[in-house]
Amino acid sequence: MPEGLTGSLAQLPLIDLLKMLAAAGQTGRLELSSGLDLGDLYIHRGQLVHAEAAGEWGEPAFARLVTWPNGQFRFIPGEEPPERSIAKPLDQLLAEAARVASEREAIRRVVPSMDIVPRLARKAPRPQLTIDAADWELIALLDGSRTAASLAAELGLDDFEAMRRIYRLKLAGLVEFEKPQQLAPAARALAGPAFFQALHTAVAAAVGPLAEIIIDDCLDAMGHTRQDFPRDGIARLAEAISNEITDPEKRVKFQQTMLALIRGQQAA
Amino acid sequence: MEREIEQLTRLPAVEGAFLCDNRGDVIVSSDPAVLATVTMNTIGREIGRAFVALQAAGFPASRIDLTYDSWRLLAQDLGDAVLFVVAQPAVDMAMVRLTADVVVAAWQKDPAARKRLEKHRSERAQLVNRTALDPGSWLTWNVIAQRGS
Repeated sequence: MPEGLTGSLAQLPLIDLLKMLAAAGQTGRLELSSGLDLGDLYIHRGQLVHAEAAGEWGEPAFARLVTWPNGQFRFIPGEEPPERSIAKPLDQLLAEAARVASEREAIRRVVPSMDIVPRLARKAPRPQLTIDAADWELIALLDGSRTAASLAAELGLDDFEAMRRIYRLKLAGLVEFEKPQQLAPAARALAGPAFFQALHTAVAAAVGPLAEIIIDDCLDAMGHTRQDFPRDGIARLAEAISNEITDPEKRVKFQQTMLALIRGQQAA
Repeated sequence: MEREIEQLTRLPAVEGAFLCDNRGDVIVSSDPAVLATVTMNTIGREIGRAFVALQAAGFPASRIDLTYDSWRLLAQDLGDAVLFVVAQPAVDMAMVRLTADVVVAAWQKDPAARKRLEKHRSERAQLVNRTALDPGSWLTWNVIAQRGS
């Protein structure tokens, strides 16, 4: 594989990198990765001609890639694009990307997260108002308890579009924000005595009379007792106990029993 | 082997799973595949090298759990291959690890699975060489290898 330019987007932002490759009249593939997300940009004689990311092609893929705040890049010179999905000049694409980025920033300053709860303003900002249809759909759902995230889900919008509409309504003085509500933590279901009985049988089959001690030690290490042990912690407890079983065959048997037990609990 | 992979993909918040040999070739994958084949190849190769590097540095590991904003990736080392589970961040990872242990044990007992793994056997240490790594990684590798020896 030919070696090319590699580096981090945190140190060399994508926009600067593209300007550099364009100025040098380069041809090749710019491979981008951020976590498990991957993307490719193809440059031909300094012009961006094709973009692919997350199943998207062309300008939408490019718009997605320029929002990555960090990640890695590798430029493989000489690789020709498999197709051409971008016709706009790079300067124009970068100008649009900069405009979108600045819009995002402005929106984020007013609508900082999807946890905010918008509600209708108590006083109308002006004697007469014009509301467009898209904003009305959102207004109709405001009840003082729905978060921006739940509004987005209900309207089938992506987060950014929902934030953009809420931002518009806030700037127009039509909505105010409630403080995020602190929801009372839901009571966690307990594993219960029947579970501990089954657990004891499974551990005893693997380690014999030490079962009680191992179970209590593991519970103690997790900061729980049999009385307050939550059902959603069973897998962690099973894992901790299985680490104490030295015989590999008995350990696997125990793990199988525990998985069956957990599946039974989930089905109940 | 496909049946065992399905055990993993049926877990809540698990997106998919796959098994790669030490060269990064996919031996078995959930259907539909959770990632593009080329991505699975790259992950398989890179994580295989990471296991070698950890061992060379004197920190042998059998699992690597990578957490990203929107993904979580568990890699479980089988020696001749690496089992990967791709999940959402909120996954019960203890449950995934337990299931992965059971899956790996089932493959180790199953002659057909063992034969399939055998076919893909390649010396992992040979994968870390000067041509496979960029100059910076090669330098780092040498430092790690010296430290472990």
